[in-house]
Amino acid sequence: MFDEYLIRKDSLQNVCEDGKVTGFRFAVRIADYRGCFLSLHNGYYIRCDGVEYPRELQRFQINGKAPRTFEEIKKAVWEHWDYDDEGWVYVTKPGGLEKGMHEIALQQSVLSQYGYMPWDEEWLRNPPVPGSGAGAGKTAVICTFSLELQE
Amino acid sequence: MSIKRGVSLYSYQQEQFFKQMDFHDMVREVRENLDTDGIEIIDEATIKGYPFPSESFVFDFRNTMARYDMQAVTMDIYLDVHQFRDHIMTHREAAERLKNDIRLAAKLGFKNVRPLCLVPIDVIEMALPVAEECDVRMGKEIHAPLPIFKANKQQPTTGMAAALDFRMAEQILELAARTGSKHVGLVPDFGVFQHSPCRPGIEYAKRHTKYPEIVDWILENSVNYSPDDIFTAIREKFPQNDINPGMISRLSLHESSADPEDLRQIIPYIVSIHGKFYEMTEIPGHPGEYEDVSIDYETPIRILKECGYEGYINSEYEGQRDQQDMGFENLPDSVEQVRRHHEMLKRLIAK
Repeated sequence: MFDEYLIRKDSLQNVCEDGKVTGFRFAVRIADYRGCFLSLHNGYYIRCDGVEYPRELQRFQINGKAPRTFEEIKKAVWEHWDYDDEGWVYVTKPGGLEKGMHEIALQQSVLSQYGYMPWDEEWLRNPPVPGSGAGAGKTAVICTFSLELQE
Repeated sequence: MSIKRGVSLYSYQQEQFFKQMDFHDMVREVRENLDTDGIEIIDEATIKGYPFPSESFVFDFRNTMARYDMQAVTMDIYLDVHQFRDHIMTHREAAERLKNDIRLAAKLGFKNVRPLCLVPIDVIEMALPVAEECDVRMGKEIHAPLPIFKANKQQPTTGMAAALDFRMAEQILELAARTGSKHVGLVPDFGVFQHSPCRPGIEYAKRHTKYPEIVDWILENSVNYSPDDIFTAIREKFPQNDINPGMISRLSLHESSADPEDLRQIIPYIVSIHGKFYEMTEIPGHPGEYEDVSIDYETPIRILKECGYEGYINSEYEGQRDQQDMGFENLPDSVEQVRRHHEMLKRLIAK
């Protein structure tokens, strides 16, 4: 669901930290009809211009706090990502992206589900790696976006 | 008295996503254009700051309900067992979440909560004293692929259906009998009377596979396979298959999971009903009259009327999610879909 709208079209930007371009970021919404406890957010499958950026290179910014790694997000067990709110995904890529159009393929992983499932213990030990569709919430396909880098 | 009409604000999830409507607009639409008063919400969609909303949110919600003279019927609540990430939520912890949701529902003025069909029955029982204290009824959802009563139905062993207990409604009736409590019941979802895949779902599947012929094969042949066997059959016939298991289950639906006659035995336990639908189209030869061709509404509503059911059926529009991959101009209009659904409900209730 919300396949074409998970990334805001005019949100792709390079990220400058301590005077250096450290990567890029884009704004996302939750691929569900409800929000979630933030700890359930398990990262993204991200492929930008053919290159995959694993969860270890991603951070997530929400609720007015500084961007956090998904290891930190995992600990936000009493914080909530509200349905109405936009979050920012930060991707580490020294030098950032070139000016112009970029193709981003994306799948969001949120471990919300409707109760106890047979795979619970397995997911506790080995959370699904985003991209396979497992733990992908309500949008199990990988969605592709053509985005222009904003100034 | 007769069956009452309401709307789950779930129906307007797309308009909320695009910030075209907020809950005030939705409540006004139900009052002014559907001419009715029943409101159901998804806690984690409507409640800003869930599970600890501000006093001002609570007042704003109650005030809006008062302004339009509405009834807060049911609040839909969830169970995410991975919340803590260092352990799977225990049943007692699950009961704590349920109790907090019940208190929150009471604060917002709701008469009922809808826990999911997969919430274990002992969790429901642990929360029962709080439900009594708050005078909020718990209606466990009878959601497809559940039947109302198991009878001789085979429980599937694959996918989410394997996690469901087909004796769920019986467990609720047993709990109500054993405790004598009026605060435990059921929320049947009209999805259990869906007998064929909906058009938006079929079209979505075809747009997202390299092999649309697999979709056609499933539609033509699913009747010959059990929910488990269809996966083996597809693997053998189409090794190249790229359609995910959830979608295969949806496409292979060929009979409703519940028998509407079973409603007769659960009437006193029905807390409210979900009016699930995917697409309302005009009935050929009947201008201005609408139906969802994939779900039987006529038989269950006739039975509910015969049995004197006087609670709410709350519209739950779900066809939008299969149409959000084709550009803004192709998005469905949920407001119009719900209006059509109420044309149907009004007509069938009055019949």
